[in-house]
Amino acid sequence: MAGPANTGERTEQSPEPVLVFGEVHTCLLQHGQALTGRGAADLLRLRADERVRLSERPNLYVRSPDVPTGVDCHLPSASGAKVRAVGTVTARATLTEGRLLQAGAHCTVTADGPGRRRRWGHYLARPGVVEPFGTLPERDVADGCLGAGRRPGDLDLGAIADRTLTRVLRDRALDNQPPFKSQVTRLRWVALRAADGEGPSLERFTLAGDGLRMAELRLPAGIPAAAAAGLCHDLALHDWLLTTLVRMVERSRLGSTDGRDALTALRPAVDHLMHLWMPAARVDQPLRPLWEALEREPGFTRQWQILVQRIRDQLALQTAAHLQP
Amino acid sequence: MLVFAASDKGGTGRSVTSANIAFHRALAGDDVCYLDFDFGSPTAAAVFDVPSVMGGIVQGGLHSYLQGQAHEPVRLDVWARTEHPVLRHRPAGSGNLVLFPGDRSGGEFAVGNDSVIRGIDLFLRLHSEFDVVLVDLSAGRSYAVDLALEVTARPELHGVGARWLIHHRWTRQHVIAASGFAFGPRGILSGGVARGHDVEELRGSMRFVRAAVLDPETPPWSLAPPAQSAWMRTCDQGLHRLAADRGVGYSAMLGSVPLEPVLQWREQLITDEDVFSSRVAGPETLKAFQDLAGKLTDDDAWGIP
Ligand SMILES: Nc1ncnc2c1ncn2[C@@H]1O[C@H](COP(=O)(O)OP(=O)(O)OP(=O)(O)O)[C@@H](O)[C@H]1O
Ligand SMILES: [Mg+2]
Repeated sequence: MAGPANTGERTEQSPEPVLVFGEVHTCLLQHGQALTGRGAADLLRLRADERVRLSERPNLYVRSPDVPTGVDCHLPSASGAKVRAVGTVTARATLTEGRLLQAGAHCTVTADGPGRRRRWGHYLARPGVVEPFGTLPERDVADGCLGAGRRPGDLDLGAIADRTLTRVLRDRALDNQPPFKSQVTRLRWVALRAADGEGPSLERFTLAGDGLRMAELRLPAGIPAAAAAGLCHDLALHDWLLTTLVRMVERSRLGSTDGRDALTALRPAVDHLMHLWMPAARVDQPLRPLWEALEREPGFTRQWQILVQRIRDQLALQTAAHLQP
Repeated sequence: MLVFAASDKGGTGRSVTSANIAFHRALAGDDVCYLDFDFGSPTAAAVFDVPSVMGGIVQGGLHSYLQGQAHEPVRLDVWARTEHPVLRHRPAGSGNLVLFPGDRSGGEFAVGNDSVIRGIDLFLRLHSEFDVVLVDLSAGRSYAVDLALEVTARPELHGVGARWLIHHRWTRQHVIAASGFAFGPRGILSGGVARGHDVEELRGSMRFVRAAVLDPETPPWSLAPPAQSAWMRTCDQGLHRLAADRGVGYSAMLGSVPLEPVLQWREQLITDEDVFSSRVAGPETLKAFQDLAGKLTDDDAWGIP
């Protein structure tokens, strides 16, 4: 990802970052046509004072400015321990190929912090960093972040991501005529520090119900939070594509009904989805091996290709049937 | 498409008919959700046979969401949660069927700007996911009706089609009430226009649904003694004239569900099984629900060329 903010780096006054967590929501842009770069840039101008980033290669990708949200609340924790933390959370929205909208929020948590609140200037100078009161029980908080049953009032990055997403979706430039129906998926992720000398790894990637996914990473020191967020956005995007295509194939009743019906149901996949598959296109070099691990197990691209092949075969069959007198 | 189910009076069959429409759309392969906006007496869980949320859920339902107490309303997968013996095996090729329950102690609440924004976000989100979004509004000119009129008038929702089904029983009182509810001075049409709806567009998106209709031409009523039969015919014709005069006649009607003994006793879904295996329900009832489900998106039925 281009020029990530160096939020993960250690500074004199700020203790060492040991945990990054975030949530990213992914959906189809609710618009009939794919947006052009300019249209996307207008849509994602979430702050007047900062530029939207746009890149055209290897695909059209537009990213909003980072929007900071000040927080002073408890972090989620699996044990129920109350860990108060203060700082700012970073939220952003992205649009890939003018079609796939993502909104994510993440923050870096330091190993410890003073037992009182500092001046706001301190936190504002460290966008995307929150400091706990005392020592951070990082495993407990990481489990809390991934856990579903969270206490009301705890820091809820999902709510921030959701607000960012709905804000974009409310934009009147959108005609609300998407080419097909689809679900929003949510990826909750945490990144803990890897053991000394170990490289980055993806400890787990699991599917819960209702479009919820969870990922846990291990990252060596020095990998910026923005790079981790970039990887998770990329995972979330491809997971959405796979989830959506699986659902489309299911709904088309491929192989069981009249082929022509299946064709109508699958047409949008061909027109709007197939060209979007581009794993790791925007993942920083040091994190690419994590994608490779996913390719081995559960084999994201293999699953995608099998589905795509089934659809292509069906299309070919239908075309052949059509040509027969 | 958003479909709002409204009625002037209670007990018009609004919930039972709407739930059956949702069910039949889902059977046909559409992704459908049912929103229990009946602030005050949520009953949808009973119809879908999801006993765990009977009478609404304790918190986190639609009321909590609209009042800003939950950032997403609770959703229940009906196929997975129902205790209905037939529905537990999700039929092949069916679409998703999701219930959004109301809160148990939801009651009525005022429509502030915040709840309008939440309503906008909710309907936009559901429109992006579901083919049919069925909203069971509470009886009368409730806050739920106001909220629906307000939200659908907002420019953010342009492009999201909305239709209104006004449910009533087939009696003089109900016909008069339904007409007033739709077209009267405090009715939906004038309420909608006051919120910025185009009068013709809104009128064109409204249709009436009759429930528990007793048809003198079909058995058992057609088999009544001649005097009784003649009397029923006369009454029925009078009712048809009244309905036509009040704008609730045949051309404004989307469909009509016969008086069904099973529904008289129990709020439930009518399945093929009920009609063809156990034979407790009438085939006309099943057909009426299937017809309604089909006509919901059939442009002919809505006068769209
Ligand atoms: N076609 C029908 N034939 C016979 N009884 C019916 C029919 N449709 C609905 N009923 C019955 O009428 C009663 C009222 O129906 P329902 O609860 O759906 O109405 P409602 O308008 O939603 O009422 P409320 O305002 O209380 O929510 C129920 O007992 C229901 O089972
Ligand atoms: Mg009801």
